[in-house]
Amino acid sequence: MRRAAFLALGFLAALPARAETLSFPVLVPLTGFLSLEGTSQRNGAVLALTEAAAKTEVIDTGTSPEAAVTALERAAGNGNVGAVAASMLGTQMLAMLPLAAELKLPLVTVSGTASITEQGNPWVFRFFPGDAVTKTAHARYVVEELGRKRPALIYQTTAYGQSGKAHLEPAFKALGAELVFEEGVDPAAKDLLPVLTKALAAKPDVLVLHLHSGPTALLLKQAAASGVTLPIVAGSAMHQPSTAALLEPVELKGVCAETAASPISGGSPGMDAFTASYRAAFGKEPDAFALGQYDGMRMVLAAVRDGATTADDIRKALAGGSHAGLAMTYKSDGKGNMAHSAVIVCYDGTSRVPALVKRYDDVAGVVK
Amino acid sequence: MRASLSGRLADAVLALAALALLVHAVGFASPYGLRVLTVAGVYALAAFGFQILFGLGGALSLAQGAFFGLGAYVTGILGSRYGLGFSVTFPLSLLVPLLVALPVGLAVLRLESHYFALATLGIAQVLHLLAVNAPELTGGANGLPGVPGVVLFGWAVPRGLPMAALVWSMVAVGGAVGWGLARGRLGRALTLVRDDPMAASTLGLDVGRLRLTAFAVSALFAGAAGALAVHTQRVVSPEVLEFPVMVSILTIAVVGGRGRMAGAVLGAVLLVHLPEWFRALERSYLIVYGAALLLTILLAPDGLTGLLERLFPRRARPVPDATEPPPGRKRDGEALSVEGLSKAFGGVHAVQGVSLTLRAGTITGLIGPNGSGKTTLINLISGLERPDAGTVWLAGQALTGARPDRLARAGLARSFQAAALPDGSTALEAVAAARLASDRDLAAAESHARWALDRMGVGELAARPCRDLPAASRRRVELARALARRPAVLLLDEPAAGLTDSEKADLAARLRALAAEGVALLVVEHDMGFLLPLAGWVVCLDRGRTLYEGPPEGVRSDAAVVAAYLGGGAP
Repeated sequence: MRRAAFLALGFLAALPARAETLSFPVLVPLTGFLSLEGTSQRNGAVLALTEAAAKTEVIDTGTSPEAAVTALERAAGNGNVGAVAASMLGTQMLAMLPLAAELKLPLVTVSGTASITEQGNPWVFRFFPGDAVTKTAHARYVVEELGRKRPALIYQTTAYGQSGKAHLEPAFKALGAELVFEEGVDPAAKDLLPVLTKALAAKPDVLVLHLHSGPTALLLKQAAASGVTLPIVAGSAMHQPSTAALLEPVELKGVCAETAASPISGGSPGMDAFTASYRAAFGKEPDAFALGQYDGMRMVLAAVRDGATTADDIRKALAGGSHAGLAMTYKSDGKGNMAHSAVIVCYDGTSRVPALVKRYDDVAGVVK
Repeated sequence: MRASLSGRLADAVLALAALALLVHAVGFASPYGLRVLTVAGVYALAAFGFQILFGLGGALSLAQGAFFGLGAYVTGILGSRYGLGFSVTFPLSLLVPLLVALPVGLAVLRLESHYFALATLGIAQVLHLLAVNAPELTGGANGLPGVPGVVLFGWAVPRGLPMAALVWSMVAVGGAVGWGLARGRLGRALTLVRDDPMAASTLGLDVGRLRLTAFAVSALFAGAAGALAVHTQRVVSPEVLEFPVMVSILTIAVVGGRGRMAGAVLGAVLLVHLPEWFRALERSYLIVYGAALLLTILLAPDGLTGLLERLFPRRARPVPDATEPPPGRKRDGEALSVEGLSKAFGGVHAVQGVSLTLRAGTITGLIGPNGSGKTTLINLISGLERPDAGTVWLAGQALTGARPDRLARAGLARSFQAAALPDGSTALEAVAAARLASDRDLAAAESHARWALDRMGVGELAARPCRDLPAASRRRVELARALARRPAVLLLDEPAAGLTDSEKADLAARLRALAAEGVALLVVEHDMGFLLPLAGWVVCLDRGRTLYEGPPEGVRSDAAVVAAYLGGGAP
């Protein structure tokens, strides 16, 4: 707690008065199917901005592109905007990009899916490793660390799931492993035993998941109940404390997941301070989305501290600088991809707090 | 005078609201305000079509959102992938939903109420699955970015006021088209189909074709709205095909006022702005939004336009002068012939081998105890039921099993046991519905309806709502409706039920006058005191079979008829 207060005070003292003239709206999905992740995003951004006493407003974007664009237009009209903490939903980002370019406003997001940084738009900055990074780490861990060559992939029929599948397939192929099974499931499916049974019938040596939070928990629960002993390596939704909360620790035994970071797993004093501040402010456990957004807004605020007075100044600072964040060091690859590291966390079956088992840095790739 | 004044007040309120919106948009609205207004315009356009299909036609289609999404995807794919401009993509965004709606409508429009709603929901689900699972074409769950803006005659329409003006211009055009359709023959016919499809079909209206037309028109509006939505978002993704879009359109129609184009505009403006007013409450805004919506529905159960009409009632429209409609095709001799007609419902033989002939200018009575098959017989003759066996000849044409509207157009008219008049219509409108299938426009239909009302002695009730009419007047209005068709054959199901003696005498005189003009009448009646002096020929049914057929004088003396009415022990 003391460390957190020290962090905040230090940042406050360093922030020049002109930052007060800029506002940093937070436009994230607080309602709809992405509300859990969107709330993490909101909390991460709000924590960073509150620590810096920066001006902000939070607007719910729901999950429709239309609402996101309207929110951006609204935020742009409410003062001198420095940068926007923007939705992690890929379709919303794609819709906001043309308007952001027109309004000349940097969008700081933790969206890992959708080719939002491949649109040639200089106003978008992604503070979460894209699927090109995380899925490479995902496949490498399965093949190189677990030594498995017959993965079965179960993914979601959403933008998140389709993007993950599109990157996992070639990643496994490049590592000499062929998918023995792949099937997409609807996020509304209430029973995943049929797809699990079909996957097991293909005689895989590892189960690879790329599902949203609820379906991840459901599949793991049904796998545990069915006595599945294969290793399971899940997507980033698994690392979220809210996903683990849906499962008993014993049901998590042997389960691993890729993610950008796992704040509750600790790892550095700064990370511990962030986790403590987050818990104190919101009464919840932080996840990688919260941390990514926190790091992103801290880089924005650092730019202001270093003299940026306009949105364009901030854009230039984000595009050209680097920032030692809590999860990793962020630096643009020229397209706005700021995060190039991913980690693998695993659960030992005794608690819901995973241990960081592998880190992959400087992974390059293009999001499809 | 008072109603006239308040009607003008209602118009003034709407005109003032429109003016305020215009002044706000041109002079004061921020880019954000203009954007919200633009989105409201898009939804108003989609809701116009839904007002015709659901509001007027009563068909709860859950495919309106799907057609919206289809229009959006046509514009998105052609614009983003092939670089085609607005002048090509916009017409195609109307055409593709229309081409999908026609075969789909043929398949699902025969379903009733909730089955129809579920079937149309299925269409939306199929399109959504296609959008998500055909990424090569649709971009998959991520959708397609880079949809170009609208370019008109070489001018790229920028966002803000120009885009809002373009969308609202289309709203104005769409609203005028929708208003014209709603106020014309289509709107009036659809209203009747919504209120009583059975009566509509017996009045010569092709219910299936009307519903299909409404379905197609609604798809056109939805496609146009979807195309404009994509131009304002510059991205198309599966969200445009998801249920919330459909719910928004449905809510706009209900809150604005069912069947009213002004309601679509009011509903869209309110429904799109409402969440924006409370957006700063973060996720709590949904509670406030829901409460505000609930309050609106409680205060205005008939929608905002309904509320306006309640506060400022309109003066009744002037009743047109009567014009006699052209006479129908009349034949001397045999007008209707039925041979060996049979119908069974499960194990119950409702009608068994019944034959009868109606001659022009005669009145035939059809009697029998309750459950003897009288109503089933006239349902079979008028096409509401299909016979299991037997033939029906009308005006020399074999029309066995023909649809009610075809029989009606061939010269058959009928009434129902319970006078089937739409409560919300005036007597004039109810009768004019009988002329919609044959007259060129609504004015002609109403003028002919006035003639029929006058003929039945209720011309002075023309402007009265049907729900306010006493039983005897309702009977006469229903007869006027049948008469307005200028039928060759008229089937009347218990026309004297609930009438006083003097009213019955008046009715008998009017029926005799009709027969004198050459109409063949079949009158189902229990009141022998009314029927026997009126009819020249009587058919008596019992348990679906013909028990007696002959002159009315023979009825009272026929032992079998007396036994059927009074029980086996009767003499």
